[in-house]
Amino acid sequence: MKYLLLILTSLFISNSVYSQLNVVTTYPYIADIVKQIGNDKIQVTSLARGDYNPHVIIPKPSSIAKARKADLLIINGAQLEIGWLPPIIKQANNAEIQPGEKGFFDLSTCVQLIDIPTSVSRDLGDVHPEGNPHFSLNPDNILIIAKAITQKLCELDPENTSFYQTSVAEFVRIWRQKTKEWTDKMEPLRGIKVIEYHKVYDYFLRRFGLVIAGTIEPLPGIPPTTKHIGEVEKIIERDKIRHIMQDVYNPHDASEYLSKRLSVKMIILPHDVGAVKEADGIITLFDEIVRRMTQ
Amino acid sequence: MKYSFCVFITFLAIISPLRGQENSPEPQPKSSSPFNQSKFVPDISMIVDFSWVSRDLENDVFSELQIPGLTHHHHEEDHEHGSINANKGFNLNYGELSFYSIVDPYFDLFAVLHVAEEHAGLEEAYVTTRKLPYGFQIKAGKFLSSFGRLNEQHTHYLDFAERPLVLKSFFGDEGLNEIGTRITWVAPTDIYLILGTEMLMGENEASFGTAGFSDINGLVNIHESENPSLFIGYVRSSFDIEDAAVLFGFSYAHGTTRMDEDFSASEGEGTAVDANTNILCGDLTVKYIIDAIKYVSFQSEYVHRSTEGSLYSRDTSFTVNEYSLEKKQAGFYSQLVAKLGLQWRAGVRYDLMNINDVRIGNTNQNIPKNLARYSAMVEYSPTEFSRMRLQLNHDRSKYLHASEGLSYKPYTEVILQLNIAIGAHGAHSF
Repeated sequence: MKYLLLILTSLFISNSVYSQLNVVTTYPYIADIVKQIGNDKIQVTSLARGDYNPHVIIPKPSSIAKARKADLLIINGAQLEIGWLPPIIKQANNAEIQPGEKGFFDLSTCVQLIDIPTSVSRDLGDVHPEGNPHFSLNPDNILIIAKAITQKLCELDPENTSFYQTSVAEFVRIWRQKTKEWTDKMEPLRGIKVIEYHKVYDYFLRRFGLVIAGTIEPLPGIPPTTKHIGEVEKIIERDKIRHIMQDVYNPHDASEYLSKRLSVKMIILPHDVGAVKEADGIITLFDEIVRRMTQ
Repeated sequence: MKYSFCVFITFLAIISPLRGQENSPEPQPKSSSPFNQSKFVPDISMIVDFSWVSRDLENDVFSELQIPGLTHHHHEEDHEHGSINANKGFNLNYGELSFYSIVDPYFDLFAVLHVAEEHAGLEEAYVTTRKLPYGFQIKAGKFLSSFGRLNEQHTHYLDFAERPLVLKSFFGDEGLNEIGTRITWVAPTDIYLILGTEMLMGENEASFGTAGFSDINGLVNIHESENPSLFIGYVRSSFDIEDAAVLFGFSYAHGTTRMDEDFSASEGEGTAVDANTNILCGDLTVKYIIDAIKYVSFQSEYVHRSTEGSLYSRDTSFTVNEYSLEKKQAGFYSQLVAKLGLQWRAGVRYDLMNINDVRIGNTNQNIPKNLARYSAMVEYSPTEFSRMRLQLNHDRSKYLHASEGLSYKPYTEVILQLNIAIGAHGAHSF
């Protein structure tokens, strides 16, 4: 009986309590930026968890309920969500957040993508025709994203325009300061060559002048083979590589094998807010990547 | 001064086109066709399903098998798609050509062509609305009904090679797939709650039917059903408990069952049925997400069908007899499927038809019940576009209709299935 009451209350009361702008984001990093700008003027939820593979999120029905009530859906875009988000949007029966509507916002349209393939074929693995979608790991892009989100929030909730603009100005100030700090800390690593498991950290590495010598995956989304690991071993020895950048969600065994066999360090890095417990916000995410890279 | 200014302007005028050329040394050639619409090509995908089958029954025996009181053996003519994995050895089960596109700001269109070796058919073709307010959506066209959990899933997305026994018995090989319309409403609540209703033509031969019939003397005269004759309502809800997603639903279908098997013919014997059929279904899915790669998913559906009405039979001398017809039949499947690694999945399934009561003229026909099937599978998917599945079925539900009555034909089969997708195929839902 108690349980039934609980269900009924959550069914009928939940919606009327909040009059704030209801923002739903695909990934936690977007939710945290929105939170920094909107604070208590908005309600924000992320559909995906930060410690899972952003390409393959299980589209839980509870996400449909979240999308149904959203005033604004903000996505990463560049086809990162193509494998799980379309059915959620389709089944949410929410006219406001359909692609092309005011309540749908694709962040990839605001930033410059890298590695746009000149030809696309699935024998190249899980390629993204629009370019590498992991642009959020360049701190300069976070500034662009924060400003674009602010503009969107002002458009949908003009009453709170001055609030959003004040908080984004403060966010920009802190972010510039932090970016300088990260740049200084990363300076000694400029020019070194690294290996990564999947092409997640390309934007970060380029921004701080590191060079990607190879990936542990033979092709995007394809698990490593013995033959390919052999080739990576040769690259590591030839280029005297010291760092393998490993994300939290892909299997670690290949990186672990290489780090044991050769004198190369496997660094497990967060890629999103919540990927490791220290990275609990957009600022601490970059703090943690820089700390793990430089320690 | 004026002179030099003129010279300067003239100089600028001369170099400016050159400068323009310097900035873009290779001007992009304009498309030769100003009316090119190639950017509007819809998402097109092709799925091909191929298998190798080993079975301890001959093909001609297998093709005559039936579940008594539930399925008939397949007549060649009324068999549009062909059973999947029907032959020992190699089978080209089907090709599925699908098209999807946003039509305009108001509609989406989805169409699937089922392509077999000799023929092709429109399996689904429907529009859905994009912009209805208050959480409503309308679907119209030919589509797989949302009755129950599994019916609306395409065969290539199933966790096992074939549909569960109970769904095959009640809706046939292709599922409940009808022309009509559906309205859904998603509640604006924290807990996922969807209500849906469908109005369909009710032509599914396994449970429904709309055909009118009459005998040559006009003693029996049953009109064709008022169409649409099949009505469906369902409610489905979901919540998360930590890392587990729980999805459950109830569905109800009500339709007419009017079938004319040579009753209206002017020679031979014939029978006909005029009845109403109600089908109830409860479904439950619990998916526990272990980590970024692994999950375990339990899924089950219980389906109960009851049919009440009249059975007419006519002999060669055109004498007509009417009997009361009452069927109560039910079954379920339960399956456990686990994703064990990036490319591996495995699962087991148990099928059972536990109720099979058919009364004709108040006489119980004593048809076998508690008919079971056991299945197990292992799946390897190199990528999301290719999948190999090894499945073992032990089927204890089939009988052969022989002159001396029913003869029980349990069998075991091994299926090695290859399922390939190319092109732009949309993501699947939960």
